[in-house]
Parts: sequence; C-alpha cells; structure tokens
Amino acid sequence: MKVGIPKGLLYYKYHPFLITFFNELGAEVIVSDDTNKKILDEGVKYCVDDACMPVKIFHGHVASIIDNCELIVIPRIMQLWKNEYICPKFCGLPEMVINSIDNMPKAITDPIYATSKKKLYSWAKLAGKSLNKNNSTIKKAFNHALTAQRNHLEGIYDQGYELNIALTGHAYNIYDNYSNMNLVRKLNDLGIGVITAEFTQEHILRAEASNLYKRPFWTFTRENYGFAVNAAKEKSVDGIIYISSFNCGLDSIIIELIKNTVPSFPFLILKVDEHTGEAGINTRIEAFADMLERRASDENNISTHG
Amino acid sequence: MKITFPHMGNIYIAAKALFDGLGVDYVIPPQNNKEVLNIGTRYSPEEICLPFKIMIGNYIQAIEQGADTVLLTGSCGPCRFGEYCELQMNLMKELGYNLNFIVLDMPKDIGIKELFKRLGKVTVTSNKSMYGKTKALKDALTVANLIDEVEAKAHYLAGYERNKGQCKRILNDCKKEAMNCSNPEEMISSLRKYKDKLKYIPVDINKNPLKIAIIGEIYTVIEPFSNFFIEDKLMDYGVSSKREMTPTWWVKNMALSPLKLNSLKIKQSSKDYLSLAIGGHARECVGEAVLAQEGGFDGAIQIFPMGCMPEIVSKSILPTISKDKDFPIMSLVVDDMTGEAGYITRVEAFIDLLERRRNNVLLGS
Ligand code: SF4
Ligand code: SF4
Repeated sequence: MKVGIPKGLLYYKYHPFLITFFNELGAEVIVSDDTNKKILDEGVKYCVDDACMPVKIFHGHVASIIDNCELIVIPRIMQLWKNEYICPKFCGLPEMVINSIDNMPKAITDPIYATSKKKLYSWAKLAGKSLNKNNSTIKKAFNHALTAQRNHLEGIYDQGYELNIALTGHAYNIYDNYSNMNLVRKLNDLGIGVITAEFTQEHILRAEASNLYKRPFWTFTRENYGFAVNAAKEKSVDGIIYISSFNCGLDSIIIELIKNTVPSFPFLILKVDEHTGEAGINTRIEAFADMLERRASDENNISTHG
Repeated sequence: MKITFPHMGNIYIAAKALFDGLGVDYVIPPQNNKEVLNIGTRYSPEEICLPFKIMIGNYIQAIEQGADTVLLTGSCGPCRFGEYCELQMNLMKELGYNLNFIVLDMPKDIGIKELFKRLGKVTVTSNKSMYGKTKALKDALTVANLIDEVEAKAHYLAGYERNKGQCKRILNDCKKEAMNCSNPEEMISSLRKYKDKLKYIPVDINKNPLKIAIIGEIYTVIEPFSNFFIEDKLMDYGVSSKREMTPTWWVKNMALSPLKLNSLKIKQSSKDYLSLAIGGHARECVGEAVLAQEGGFDGAIQIFPMGCMPEIVSKSILPTISKDKDFPIMSLVVDDMTGEAGYITRVEAFIDLLERRRNNVLLGS
C-alpha cells in the first residue's frame, strides 16, 4: 500500500519515526518534496486564509501527494508532554485538511498522545490496523521506529564562528529552508554560527520556564522560552533570532515572555508569511549582524581599558 | 484594596452584585468603546488576540478611577487566554502601574487550596460572615443567570414584537435599572420584574422572523463592543437571534467539566465534524452550528478575533456543515483594524441572502 507522508509541520521533528514505522509495516512510503513555490501556492489556495503559513504549507504538501497514495498520514498531535498542550491547529489539523481539500484518500487521523511509550503505542496500533497489519508486526515496527527516532540527532550546533546566535522557533520554521529563505545559510555567510534548542538539556529548559508566574502549558513555550532565555543568561551566544510566522498565536506570547525576561539582550524577530519579500529579510539579518559585531568590538575595547 | 475586572458582556452587572454583597470596594471600568480599544492597542503586543487588548484598556481606565487589584479568571479552555495573566502582569508593571492580580485558575491547575487562598484575597476587606460571603456569591450567580435570561429572551422576541424596538428598550432599561440598585436583593427583584415584562409584551405569533445563531469565540460573541453590537443590530432588523455562549454557560461548563458532564448536547452534535476538544471553544462552535440547523434556524454567524487558533480550525469545518445541511454560515473576523462599515455591509448582505432563500422556498423554486 502506498502511504503518503506530508513534509510539513512536525514532520521536521518526527520524520525518522514516521518513515521507519510505515516502512517496517511494509508500506511504500511517499514523502512529499521539500517545500517549493508550487506547494506553497497550493497550500494558500486550499487552506482557510486566516491560518498561519506553516499550516498552509502543510495543506500544500498534502495536495501534492494525494494522487499518488492510497492512505495519507495527518498526524493529530494532541500532547507531547503530560500536562502540556500543543497548538489547537495541530489538534484540529485533520479537520482543517479534510474539509479544505477535495478527493482526499483515506487518512490516518487518530489522536497522538506522545506522553508515554504506551500511549504512543495505542496510536501505532490504530495506524497499523488501517494497513491491516497484525499486532506483532506493528509492535516490531513501532520499536524500530522509536529507535530510529532516538538515534536521530536533530539540531544545529555550528562551531568555529566568532559570533553565534541562538536560533529559536518552531522546528518547521527552522528546518524548512524554503519558508525561512535559507536563513541558516545566510547567517553562516555573514559569519554567524547558529545553535538550536536541541542541545540544551530538558531540565534546564524546565528550570527556566518554572521561573514564570504561570506554568507554561504549551510545550513550545517551554522549549523556545527556556532555550532563548537560558542562552541569554549564560551568554553562550551573542544574540537570539526568533523565526516565526505571522498569525502564530503561540509565538506572539512566547516572544513577549522572552522580551520581558531578557530585555536588553540582542533579539531579532523574523516573521514570515507568503507575502514576505526576501530582500527585506536580508536587510534585517545584515543589520542585526552588524549590530552584533559592533557590540562585540565595543566589549573588547572596554575590556582592554578595564 | 479596590478591585476591578475586565469587561465581558453583562459580567459587570453580576460583579456589582457580588462586590456590593461582599461589601468590598470596587471599580467598574468605563464601558468599552473605541477609546478603550485604542489604549489597549497602544500598549499591547501587536499580534495578541483582540480580547487581550480590550482588557488592557479596561485595566488602565479602572486604575485611573482608583483600582489597584484586578480579578481575572485563568484558563478558558487551553488557549492563549491561559497565558494572558502573565503577560498582562508584566505589561502593567512595565507601564509603571502597581496593579495586583488575583487569578482564579482551575483547581486542577493550581490546586484547590491555592484557589481558596486566592479567593480569600478577594474577600479580605469584606467584613461579612462566612454565611454573608456565600450569600453574596449565590446572589451574584442568580443575577448572572437572570440577566442572561432577560437578554436571551429579548434577542429572540425581537423578531416577533409588535411594537418595534420594544425588546431592545426593555433590555436597555433592565440593565440601567440593575446598575442603579444599591444591593443584590433589590437587583434580583428588578431583574425578575423585567423578565416578567418580557413575558407579556405583545407579539405576533404568526410572524416567522429570520432566526440567526451567533457562534464562535467566547469573548467576541459575548462582549458586544468587540462584535460591533451585532445582536442589537439584529434586533433592529427584526431578526431573532440566539447564542449559547453566556457567562452563565461558562460557569456551568467549568463546574461540570471535571465530571465530563458539561455541554453534552453540544458535544454530541459536533461529533461528526470535530470529535475532540482542541482548545478554546472550537468544538462548541461546530456543535452549535449543527444544533442551530436542527433547531430550525435560517443561518449562523461565526465571530472570532483575528488569529484565533481554535476558531480558525472551526472556520475550516463550517463550510462542510453548510454544504451537508444546506445551511448558510458566515464567518466574521474582528480585530482593532476592522472597519465597521464593511462589517455591517456583510451582515446585511447575509440577512438579504437568508431572506431570498426563504422567498425562493415559498415560490417553490
Ligand atoms: S504553533 Fe503557530 S505556526 Fe504552528 S500551527 Fe500553531 S499557530 Fe501555526
Ligand atoms: S480562543 Fe482565540 S481569542 Fe481566545 S485566547 Fe485563544 S486565540 Fe485568543
């Protein structure tokens, strides 16, 4: 059976799991191409216009492969950690897609609660059943998929740069080079190294987030806030760049929280959507890079006097 | 201590009953208007949802009248609302205001002890006995219930009234008189009087007015300023309207949710289209659309603030319901940039559409 996996949203985090799982089940896995203009345009065409760009792009990925697959995976991620939530659009993603795109093949839309191995397995069981597989095959595929996910090291940790920034934001904004217009490469070209959240330990993220008045109930808040604030406090980087999309309800909050906690730390917010021009982004990154350089040389000057 | 709270529909009436009953000092922020929104927009993060901005405007105006403490409910379905308080606290501090926040979160998030501690803060300055405090709370709930009933009745009967504008007048008088009462008992009997009044207004039972359900994000459907007083306008047009979301609904929903007994009918109705709670009140919105169609309504209007995540999901679903059931549904998005004229035109066009559909049915085409 041909199983389609759209390369959008949290695919960027969980692709080893998804691909291994369906491969091991004996499916022919069809992954959509990297995001491109056509995919974006299709997404914009199908999706409700009030949605954020990543969700539109996801629609585009779905539309690009529905003709080639008999079953499509639309991960309905409900929870990744206990007592934490995820963006409502993830929970309603299958509804958004199915109600917006015609001629959809059958879809796997069962809710995913990845709070424990057991809970995740109940999703796997349902998914495996849609392919008519028996329990032992599913179990085996599931275990392999988990191993693949664990062995997969995601994240960017550039070395050898004079200046470094913490790059934060949703995985699909950081790793989808079409939507972020090759941000990482641009930064590298400007002589700036990039570090992402994956290298900060979980307990540190938690510790930073626990300083908030209210326990953040979004997984993304904890991850992005914890990482950015910690990097600023530890001075392990020279600045923070937050890559976000317009109309992201979560980012609008997280960005404010970061600003409030480390108000004087260099912080660049890049928001993109389907109308964003690349030239504008370039100018802003360059200006930020200049600023970081000036700061660095000022500091050096001061230290030689002191 | 002088308590205040953000506006949301008729909550201010119940709040007056509560604070009068407790005998604590309070400020009711001036009614929402453009000015409030401007203040809020000036100081709020740009991309935050509309309710946040209006609330900031409320706080600042209340502070000008001496308020020093704000009472706020926490989570409203897992959505941004739950993170409001933290940002608002920071924001007010940054603006140089010394405002205390009492946040009433769900006991499952903060523990029942903490909740009682926070509730205790509200009543510190009250010299009422435990019995008196409980009574004040009970009276306030009665008031909330009554005003919601009066309002719902007026919205619905407006389509049937013989004397044009009577329902609206009664509703307005009712609110005004309630605010002139000096204690909860007086307020309750005044509200009862108006409730009765509505029972006896002359109606034309042969009339078959257009009926529209108002659905969508809870704040923007309840707070009339944020939706350009859509229900008042519908009354003017002689359209009957109905909305499930009310402060009373919210209280009941919260109280019953730990037992999973909340809003059973709405949940049941949403099942075919959105079977899970995804945050905010998206599932309710979908369920209400289905219920409205089954209840013989002519159409539904969904209202939500720009960028509202759960309602964007429901907006994707509503066209399917509309197609499946041949039931017109219009979505209106509001924010601080929404122009009133364009908005009203859309509402009027929708009403025209509903009227035309009716005529077509009558003509058998
Ligand atoms: S988290 Fe933000 S960017 Fe991601 S789906 Fe939700 S609103 Fe869109
Ligand atoms: S439900 Fe909508 S308006 Fe309410 S907090 Fe969430 S995004 Fe904002």
